[in-house]
Amino acid sequence: MKTAAELNFGERGTIAEIDCTHPSSRRILEFGFTPGQVIELFSKATFNDPIAIILRGSLIAIRKSEADCIKLK
Amino acid sequence: MISPVGTPVITLIGPPNSGKTTIFNILSGKNYKTVNYPGSTVEYYTSRILAKYNIHAELLDSPGLISLIPESLDEEITIKSLYHHPKLGTPQLLIATVDASQLSRHLLLPVQLLKSGFNVIIALTMNDILQKRKVKISTEKLSKELGCSVVQINGRTKEGMGKLISTMNSILENIRNNGKQKPVPYEKIVQNNSLVDTFLKIEDITNKVLEFKVDEEKINLKKANDQLEVHPSILQNNGFTTDELTLKLDRVLLHKHWGFLIFVMIMGLTFTSIFWLAQPLMDLVDELFSNLNNLVLANFRSGWLSNLLAEGMISGVGSVLVFVPQIIILFVILGILEDSGYLARGAMLIDKPLSKIGLNGRSFVPMLSGFACAIPAMLAARTIPNRKERVITIFIIPLMSCSARLPVYALLIAYLVPRDKLWLGGFLLAGIYLFGITISFVIASMLNKFRQKLFKVEDTSTFILELPTYRVPKLSSVLSHTYNSSKEYLLRAGPVILIFSLLLWFLVYFPNSNPQFETEGLSKTQILQIEKSERLEGSYASSIGKFIQPIMKPLGMDWRIGVSLISAFAAREVFVSSLALTFKVTTEEEANQNTLLNSLRSATIEDTGQKLLTTATTLGLIVFFIFALQCVSTIAVSRKESGSWKIPIMQVFIFTILAYTLALITVNGLRVLGFE
Repeated sequence: MKTAAELNFGERGTIAEIDCTHPSSRRILEFGFTPGQVIELFSKATFNDPIAIILRGSLIAIRKSEADCIKLK
Repeated sequence: MISPVGTPVITLIGPPNSGKTTIFNILSGKNYKTVNYPGSTVEYYTSRILAKYNIHAELLDSPGLISLIPESLDEEITIKSLYHHPKLGTPQLLIATVDASQLSRHLLLPVQLLKSGFNVIIALTMNDILQKRKVKISTEKLSKELGCSVVQINGRTKEGMGKLISTMNSILENIRNNGKQKPVPYEKIVQNNSLVDTFLKIEDITNKVLEFKVDEEKINLKKANDQLEVHPSILQNNGFTTDELTLKLDRVLLHKHWGFLIFVMIMGLTFTSIFWLAQPLMDLVDELFSNLNNLVLANFRSGWLSNLLAEGMISGVGSVLVFVPQIIILFVILGILEDSGYLARGAMLIDKPLSKIGLNGRSFVPMLSGFACAIPAMLAARTIPNRKERVITIFIIPLMSCSARLPVYALLIAYLVPRDKLWLGGFLLAGIYLFGITISFVIASMLNKFRQKLFKVEDTSTFILELPTYRVPKLSSVLSHTYNSSKEYLLRAGPVILIFSLLLWFLVYFPNSNPQFETEGLSKTQILQIEKSERLEGSYASSIGKFIQPIMKPLGMDWRIGVSLISAFAAREVFVSSLALTFKVTTEEEANQNTLLNSLRSATIEDTGQKLLTTATTLGLIVFFIFALQCVSTIAVSRKESGSWKIPIMQVFIFTILAYTLALITVNGLRVLGFE
C-alpha cells in the first residue's frame, strides 16, 4: 500500500487509513489527516524530508517517518 | 495574580495561528502579565478586560492547542489548567478561536470543549480570506449545529468585537442566574478511536454551514463530477483551497534547492544584523554608564560608598542594559519572520539536519537567539514540544557564542592580528563561531546517544507543523511582543547579574580598600587608575586568583588572568575591563584598547620572566571563552527551564572541563608546533 511519504511532487492521493501503531498517529489524525481526505504533495525540504502536504486547504509540514503511517488508496 | 473571589475568568483557547493573540490584544489593550502554572514552564498571559468593554472579568490567554487529548507534558498541563487552574480556578467561559478558512481542522477543539461541558463562544477569524473565495460561513447555522454562540471577528478592523462583548455578557449573566456546570475531563467521556467519527461529524457540519455565491460553471462542474465520481472529497472541501499567493511564494521559498539557500541567506542577514545594527546602540549604552560611573567617582568624596555606587551598582546596571539593544533587534526581526509565516518554513527546512543530532526543526530559533544572549534563547526553547529535544537544545545554547563574549574576542583578536593583516581578524572571528557551533553539534549528538539514561522517557520525536498562510506582519503586535520579551529578559537576568556584580565588587574592593602610593606628578585620572589596580592587587579577588594560579600555570597564564576570568562570571565582557585593571593600564582615556594592548604585549610572568600573552596562550584564552559557562544568569535560567538542577550542573561541569582541556591542548599543542 502506498503511503503519503511516497507521493511525488504534485501527486494526489486519498487517505485510506492511518496506521494506529505509530506513536504520532493521534496527532496526525488531529491535524485532519482522516480517511477519505484527498492530499497533495506540495514540496520536499532540501534533504527530501520533511515534506509539505496540502490537506483541507492548509499546508502541513510533516516528517517522512510520520507521513509513512498515512496509508493511501 | 490571584483573582478576587467573584471575578469571573474567561479563557481564550485555540489552535496555533488561529488569531487568538489578536483577540487577546484587543480585549486586554496589550497590557498583560505572565502567570506560571505552578512547578512548570507553561506560561499564561492574563489581563483584566479593558474597562471600555464593560465586562468585569479576568482574561487568560492559553498556549496554542490542537486537541483536548494531550501529547506532551506541556499540553497536559495546559489542558489540566483549563479544567482547573490552581491560582485562577475554572474559567466561566471559553472563547475558542477558529480560522474560518480552515474550518474543518480548527473545529476539532471547540467540538471537544463543548462535549466536555464548557460554556464556549466561537470566534471565527480570517473571514476575509473566505470572502475573497466567494464563500461565506453562516454563523446562525453553525451556531445551531454546534449548540453554542458563534461570532465573526475581523482582527484588523475590530469588526464583530461589539457582538462578541454582548455575547460574553449575556452568557456571564446567565451563569450568574443559573449557576455554571462543571466540565468533565474530555478523556473520561471519549473512547480512544473516536477522532475519525468526530471529524466526520465536523465535515457534515461544515458542508451545512458553507454558503457559495452561485457560480453556474461550478455547479455544472459539480454535476459532471458527481456523475463521473471524480475526486469526491476535493469537492467536499469546497471553499477550502490553499491561498494562491502562499503557494506561489512557497514554490520558491520551499524549493528543493533554492529554499535552503534562501533560508541560509535570511538567517545570515538576521545574524549579522544582530551585531551591526546593535553595535552603535550598545556603544552608546556603554559610554553612558562609564560616564555616569566617572561622574560619581569624580564628584563624591572617595570612599567605599561612592565606589560601591559607581563600580558596583552603576557598572552592574550597565552590564545588564548593554544587551538590551541586541535583544530588541533580535526580537523585532524574529517577530517579523514569525508573524509573516516564514519561521515555520525555516523550521521545516532545517528539521532534517537537526534531527540527526537529536534536535528538532524548532530548535533553530532558540539556537539563533543564543548568539545574542542565552537567556531569551532558553526561554524560546519552550516551543519545542518534545522534552528530550528541548533539554538538549537548552544544553547546547551556551555554546552559541553570545554577544557578551564579543568584546573579549575583539580584544584578543586585535592582540593577535598584525596591523597589516587586519582581514585575518574577520576569518578568526568566523572560525570562533563555527568552532563553537561544531562542538555544540558533537555534544548534542552525544547527549542524544545517552538519552535513555538522561531523560528516562520514551523518545517520541515528532515534527508536524502547520505552515500558515503568508501575510504582512503586523508591526504593533511585533513591537508589543518585543517589549514584553525584553522586559522579561531584564526581570530575569537583571537581579542575578546585579547581585553578582555587587559580590564581585566586594571581592575586588576589600580588604585593601585604601591603598597608599606616591601621587606626585600624576593627574587625577591616573591616581584613580593606580588606586584601582593597587587595591585589586591586595584584594580578596587577587588572593583567589593566586590560589588558582597552579591551575592557570599549565595554560601559560598567571593569577592576573585568573582574576579577570573570575570577574567574568558577573558578565563576560567584564573580563576586558578587569584585565585593564590588573595590568595597571593608566591613561587619561578609560579602558583605551591600544594602551591595553601595549601593556598586554609587554606583560611577563612574574617568577619566570617569560612573555605572558603569546600567540599560543592568547588562542588558548579564546578557546577557553568559547566553552566556559561563565554566566550566573544562564545557569539560573537553565535550572528553571529544564526543571531541575541536573542539567545546569552537568553544563557547568562539562563546559568547564571542555574549556580547560581544550585550552590546555591548544596552548601546548601550538608550543610543540613551534608557535610561541
